[in-house]
Amino acid sequence: MGKPFLEVEHLTKVYPGGVRALEDVSFEVARGEFVVVIGLSGSGKSTLLRCINRLVEPTSGRVWVDGVEITALDREGVRRVRREIGMIFQQFNLVKRLPVVTNVLTGRLGYVPGWWSLVNYWPPGLVQQALDALERVGIRDKAYVRADQLSGGQQQRVGIARALMQEPKLILADEPVASLDPATSHSVLRYVEELNRREGITVLCSLHFLSLARRYGTRVLALKEGRLVFDGHPSEIDGRRFREIYGEDAVEVEIA
Amino acid sequence: MRERAWRAVMLVLAAAAFAYGWRVTRIDLGELATKAHLVRPLVRDLLRPELLERVPRVQEVAVPVSLGGGEPPLPPSRGPQVQVSSRAVRVGQEVVVRGEEFEPGRPGRLVWRDATGAPAPLAEFSTDARGGFQLRVRIPDTLGDRGEVVAVVELAQTVWRPSETLRLVAERMVETVFLALMGTAMGVVFAVPLSFLGARNLAYGPVGLAVYGVSRTVLNVFRSVEPLILATVFAVWVGIGPFAGVLALGVHSVASLGKLYSEAIEAIDPGPIEAVEATGASRLQVVRYAVIPQIVPQFIAFTIYRWDINVRMSTVIGFVGGGGIGFLLMQYINLLLWQKAATAVWAITVVVALMDYLSARVRERVT
Ligand SMILES: Nc1ncnc2c1ncn2[C@@H]1O[C@H](COP(=O)(O)OP(=O)(O)OP(=O)(O)O)[C@@H](O)[C@H]1O
Ligand SMILES: [Mg+2]
Repeated sequence: MGKPFLEVEHLTKVYPGGVRALEDVSFEVARGEFVVVIGLSGSGKSTLLRCINRLVEPTSGRVWVDGVEITALDREGVRRVRREIGMIFQQFNLVKRLPVVTNVLTGRLGYVPGWWSLVNYWPPGLVQQALDALERVGIRDKAYVRADQLSGGQQQRVGIARALMQEPKLILADEPVASLDPATSHSVLRYVEELNRREGITVLCSLHFLSLARRYGTRVLALKEGRLVFDGHPSEIDGRRFREIYGEDAVEVEIA
Repeated sequence: MRERAWRAVMLVLAAAAFAYGWRVTRIDLGELATKAHLVRPLVRDLLRPELLERVPRVQEVAVPVSLGGGEPPLPPSRGPQVQVSSRAVRVGQEVVVRGEEFEPGRPGRLVWRDATGAPAPLAEFSTDARGGFQLRVRIPDTLGDRGEVVAVVELAQTVWRPSETLRLVAERMVETVFLALMGTAMGVVFAVPLSFLGARNLAYGPVGLAVYGVSRTVLNVFRSVEPLILATVFAVWVGIGPFAGVLALGVHSVASLGKLYSEAIEAIDPGPIEAVEATGASRLQVVRYAVIPQIVPQFIAFTIYRWDINVRMSTVIGFVGGGGIGFLLMQYINLLLWQKAATAVWAITVVVALMDYLSARVRERVT
């Protein structure tokens, strides 16, 4: 085996207020893994994911994705690698007043000339690709509806289609189902899982519920107060480990 | 205990302040009653704006004549007829004007109308029992090489029409609305770029922050200058008139719109910005797809609201030379023409209420 697909080395993030959100985090991910990041609220999950595409500037440490040292790139370089890293958010982060299809098309912005956006021009080929992406997540019929007219589950599927539009090598999903009910959560995660299995897209996904982590993850990373406290197969998390990650009083909740 | 002492001191201080204020502003509530008779005619006139005027209906016949040329063609006419003894005349020549088939026994007048349409009285008459008249008049000194002899006979019936004042007020009101529109437009043109530069959440890096600081300062300085003072300055600069008003309102609008716009930008949801940035989009693309769609409704609402405010403001600005209805109103007031002033006041009230209503409706629709 050569270099790992994703490599995080001694990653530390201290926010301006002095909060140490990540503390010397190191791990490697092979191509095609479905890695779930768990941890209590405030443990640094979002920060970790955002350091990988540099939405958050790491304080120290290094990150490689597919052989490129992300932490060494200038602005333009960051822009170029971001094109191939899809991101899915807890709050979906769609542009609410734009139609669904335009939201999906924004996934392609990194590849098109800047002046096209002044006139909102999209070549028919890309529009077709966006419609196909919507077809894959089962909401082709909502393409020309305003994004805020959709239910939460539908909006997250638009979020997935937007990431899909990037033809990404890596998907970062920050608690993609935390705002959804259990049944909808599964339907959304199954789309992510399918991208992982069928296209071999590597997934790094933070989740609240351990049961979901067990169901979808091929591997689990656990963060506690910014430190990596577990790295292994989901089945290795027993009662003792669970209390280590979530604290003594925690009880595991099953999500159907 | 200490708190009670404090309260007592504050009470004494407040009482002293009010007592002093009462004296220096020479408040005398009694005057409101004893001098009520002075204001009564004013209030009465304000309640009687000059809206419509009653004018007699007239029969009017115009006969074209030429000065130093051949007789001009006569337009065909039905009803009352007028003949002029000669229709190729020179200045000072006497002509006989005969009319028939007018309303009998009514007062009338003969008028000379020159090539520019300016009237000059020639004679007055009454129609006889058969509706005719005959007069000898002299062609007056006149400009141009043609003119008209016009016979006007007043009938017993009268008609209502908008008063001269109302027409003038309406004209100035339209001017005011457009003055406000142009001022607003000028505000928008400069406020939009300034607001993007002056929005904290779009300011990246040290350069961005410096630009942010400068834009904010510019907006604050502009905003602290009273539009009345701006209008006075511009009235001196470009002369009294609507253009001075446009400039004053424009400068003031830049500041107030810039602040509202940048606050709208600062209040947007950062989520979509983050999401679009994460796709590898450039700064420009992020603004286009994540910022602008979020702010357009507010921008439209603020702009219409500003126009609405500017219409109000332009009336006051007119007082100091900014043109529009305010200037007219000030003239009426200075000449103590209360009924005419009332016409202007009512027009302002109606238009402002209308603008207020319409702008509220439009704002409802866009958000
Ligand atoms: N922009 C910021 N500025 C300062 N502190 C921050 C910032 N973002 C996050 N933090 C702090 O960093 C720590 C880690 O936050 P982070 O959002 O990464 O945690 P998380 O595991 O994603 O939590 P959650 O489950 O609530 O989303 C928290 O203590 C948080 O308060
Ligand atoms: Mg988080």
